[in-house]
Order: sequence, then C-alpha cells, then structure tokens
Amino acid sequence: MKHFREKLLKDPVFGLILVMPLLIWVAATLIYPVFSAVWLSFVKMRYIGVPAKPAGFSNFLKILADDEFWDTCIRTGWWVAINVILQVWGSIIVALILNQDFKGKNIVRNWIILPWVLPTIVLAIVWKWILDPTHGVVNYILLKMGTVGMPIEFLSSPKWAMPTVILLNSWRWIPYFSIVVLAALQTVPRDLYEAAAMDGASSWAKFWNITIPTIYPMLKVVTLNSFLWSANIFDTIWLLTRGGPLGHTTTLPVYIYSKAFRDFRFSEAAATSILMFLGLLVFVVVYLRLLFREEGATG
Amino acid sequence: MRTFVKYLLVVMVLFVFIGPMIWVGLNSFKPVSELLATSPTFFPKHFTFEHYRNLFKRINFLGYYRNSFIVSVVTATITAIAGAFAAYSVYRCDYPGRGFLFRFFISSYVFPKVLILVPLYIMFSRMNIIDSPLALVLAHVMLTAPFSVWILRAFFETVPKEIEEAALIDGANRVQTVFKIFIPLAAPGIAAIWINAFLMSWSEYLFASTLVITDANKTLPVGMAYFLQEYAIEWGTMMAGSVLIAIPPIIGFAIAGKYFVAGLTAGGIK
Repeated sequence: MKHFREKLLKDPVFGLILVMPLLIWVAATLIYPVFSAVWLSFVKMRYIGVPAKPAGFSNFLKILADDEFWDTCIRTGWWVAINVILQVWGSIIVALILNQDFKGKNIVRNWIILPWVLPTIVLAIVWKWILDPTHGVVNYILLKMGTVGMPIEFLSSPKWAMPTVILLNSWRWIPYFSIVVLAALQTVPRDLYEAAAMDGASSWAKFWNITIPTIYPMLKVVTLNSFLWSANIFDTIWLLTRGGPLGHTTTLPVYIYSKAFRDFRFSEAAATSILMFLGLLVFVVVYLRLLFREEGATG
Repeated sequence: MRTFVKYLLVVMVLFVFIGPMIWVGLNSFKPVSELLATSPTFFPKHFTFEHYRNLFKRINFLGYYRNSFIVSVVTATITAIAGAFAAYSVYRCDYPGRGFLFRFFISSYVFPKVLILVPLYIMFSRMNIIDSPLALVLAHVMLTAPFSVWILRAFFETVPKEIEEAALIDGANRVQTVFKIFIPLAAPGIAAIWINAFLMSWSEYLFASTLVITDANKTLPVGMAYFLQEYAIEWGTMMAGSVLIAIPPIIGFAIAGKYFVAGLTAGGIK
C-alpha cells in the first residue's frame, strides 16, 4: 500500500492526476462538441430527439449558394478589418498618453480597463441611452450645435448602425489592449530616447525609430488577438442591434446564432460555423507564417 | 504648457472611456422627469431611489442576481481549483505530452464559441439539463479554465523551484508541498484566475441566452437584455440595474485588479 502511494506521488502519475479534472471537463464540453459540430454539418437535423438523416455536403452547398451568407462574409471582413485597425492604433495612442508621468497615473492605468471589465449588458444599456434618438445626449449636443437637423438613429438606421457598433466594440477593447501595449512601452530603454534627443531627433522620429520597433513583437500579438476576438464578437452586436436593421450589423457569429436559434436550422448553422472556423484558421496560419517566420516561432 | 497638454490628454482619455459609466451611474438616481427632460443634467438635481425600488418590485431582478451569483461563484471556484491543478501539472510536473497539453489549453480559445454552442445545446437537451444552472456552469468553466492556465504561467514562474525541492528533501511528500508551500505562494495568481472567471461568467451572454429558457433561471445579462429590446425602454430602471450589475466586477477588480492586469500583460508578452 505504501509502495503504491509513493508511486502515485511520482511524476507521470501525479502530474496526470492533477491535470485530469480539467482535461476531462474540456474534452466533454469543448472537444466533443467540436467533433459533434462536424457530424452535425453532414446530417439533416431539424428537431432534437428525431433521428438525423445523412446529408452529405448538402448543408454546405446550400450555405455556399446563399447570397446572404456571402454578404455576411464581406460584412464580417469589414467589421474585423476596421475593428483591428481602430483597436491597434487606438491602444497605441491611449498607451502613449498613459505612459507619461502624471499625478494619479497608477490609479488611471489600473482603472482604464473598466469598459472591458464591465459586462456587455451594462455597456449596451449605457450606449443605447447615450445614443438614443429622443433622449440621448449625443443627439442633444448635435442638434444644439446645429450639425444635424434631425436626430440620428445611431443604432437603427442602415447607414449608421454598422459604424456605430464598430466604434463601440473598439471603444470596449482599446483600454484592454492599451494596458498590454503600455507594458511593452515600459520596456523601451529610456537612455535610447535621451541619446536620440541629443542627436536632435524629433518626437515623431523617436516614435517611429525607437518606440514602434521595441513594441513591435507585442503589436503582432495584439493584432492577432484583436483579429480573433473581433471575428468572434457576438454579444456586443446582439445586445445593441440584434444584427439589424435589416441585417446591416449581422456578422458571421450573429448569422450562425440566428440560423440555429431563430430558424432552428441546426445543421446549416453547424456547417456555417465550420466554414467560419476554417476561414479563420487560414487567416491565422497565413498571419503567423508571414509575421513570425523570421523568429522561427509559430505562436 | 506641456503639463497642460499632458493632463488635457489624460482627462480626455478618462472622459471617453470612464465618463459614460459615471454619468449613467449618476442618472440612476434622477427622477424620470429629469432623465427625460429636454436638457440633460450631469449631477442629479433631485435625488431618488425609485428606479432601484422598481427594479425589485416590477421585474425579477433579485432572482436574476441570485442566479448569476450562484453560477459565477461556482464557475470561479471550479476554475480556480481545476485550473491551478492543471497549471501545476503542465508547468511543474514532468511527463511526456505535457507540452502538448499546455498548447492544447492555450489554443482552445481559437474555436469560435458559436461552433460549440449548437452541439452543446443539443447535448444538454439530450441530457435533460437544459434550462438549469448546471448547464451554465458546465459551459462557463469550459470558457474560463483554459484561459486561466495561461494566466497562471506568469505567477507560477515567480515561485522558485528550489523552495519545493527543499521541502521535498526535508521529508514532505508532493501533496504536502503542493498544498502547504506552492499554493500559498501562488495565491495571488489563483485569486486572479478566480476573479477573472467570476467576471467572465458574470458577463457571459451567448451561452446563457441559449442554455436557459425560463425567466426563473435567467442570469442578469439575459434577464436585462429582454427589457432592453422593448419599444419603450424604462431607462431609469435599466440604469439602476446596470449600476447593481457593475458592483461585483468593480469590487473584484478593486481587490485583485493589479494581479489581474499583471497576469494579462505577462500572458501577452509570451
């Protein structure tokens, strides 16, 4: 018995015992569902409990022949591209501002992440109120200044909904990424700036030649995360516009969600989510190949 | 002049990123007449708790709050325990395949959540646990725990291996070294993953909105979202609700914010 106990405490067994609970949990709730999604996409299933019929590639063909799917792909592309640009540059700007020496800098640097810490539902309430056409403060100011004659329907007009939701999503993620960029900025050696200043370099030159190269490795990680997270955003869009008006803010996750839980087309939803996953995978692999090859690291 | 510009920029950042929440917080204490008046105010002219009363009187806010709290605390606790054990195993133990396990955990977030959602919904329906807190906990731990293994790496690196080795030489067994030496030293990291998991579960909408059906089982984000889509939104009640929803994350962040941010940034540096 004692011998057996000692064996348990030695490495292969001890390590495996410790990792087992999480491994089983993740296998059951993540890995099994991933395979199940693959299976689901090759069968026809309308009702849970009714046996599914094999369907070959018909779900995929149906999706690929659907104009709405392609419109959604293009819309998702714009959504991701603009979000990534806004988030990467926004977080650099905010990080540069917070990297200065000012009173209360520790408190500000700590709490700036608040938009990211608070639940999405809170942000949806906050911004729906601020942007409300009749009671919102933004329209009040715009009308007072005479910029617009009629209140702008920020979240319910086809013209404004997408730009507004993109801005709000970026607003939420910029503080988060700015904290990450700030950590990288603090690794830039101060004497480099001093030496550059002695040589008479402008702030702009210092920014491009010292700051950006030093934080570049971190920026690559930030860009990748921003890309992946933007592509997968669901709750911000859904709580602000439900994908509307008329599908103008429907990105792929919203499209899949509606297919599954509004139309109850589970198999088509699964097929779409697999196409989306493969699409993301291609982007990520290309990105890693292009940007991380020189270091020989693959993330 | 330089100082002026510097502070102006900081104030602008605060205005944009923190200002909206503070204003909505103040709004929750304004009477309806002031909220819907043509010219908005910043500080309340008249102070009222009517919106907070309505929250408990007119909607099942207390029920949502209780459901959210139970799901989040259970999720966070399971994540902290299972995550810390798994992290100890992949960072400190020695067996073939642990590198693979580490990559497996940190790469699990590349799967789009909607990819898992439909099969999980079907699986839980078949298991007859749809519309229960159990279904939500099962899903939420899956969302939080792999990420926590990643966050813990930075904290575990601060605990020197020598301390453990010394304890082993002194005759302690491995279980004792883990519980009496390692866990206390890594406590800030474990607190950070507990709070991170709590925040994620507290905020989570996608899974909560599909896995829960009846009003009595709804969590805060799902319960409140229903009222946000109504044609005539009761703004005062909604804003009072968002203040109360924001309180636990703010407290959690006040307690462990610095560890939390340290974990996020260290994880990002790789």
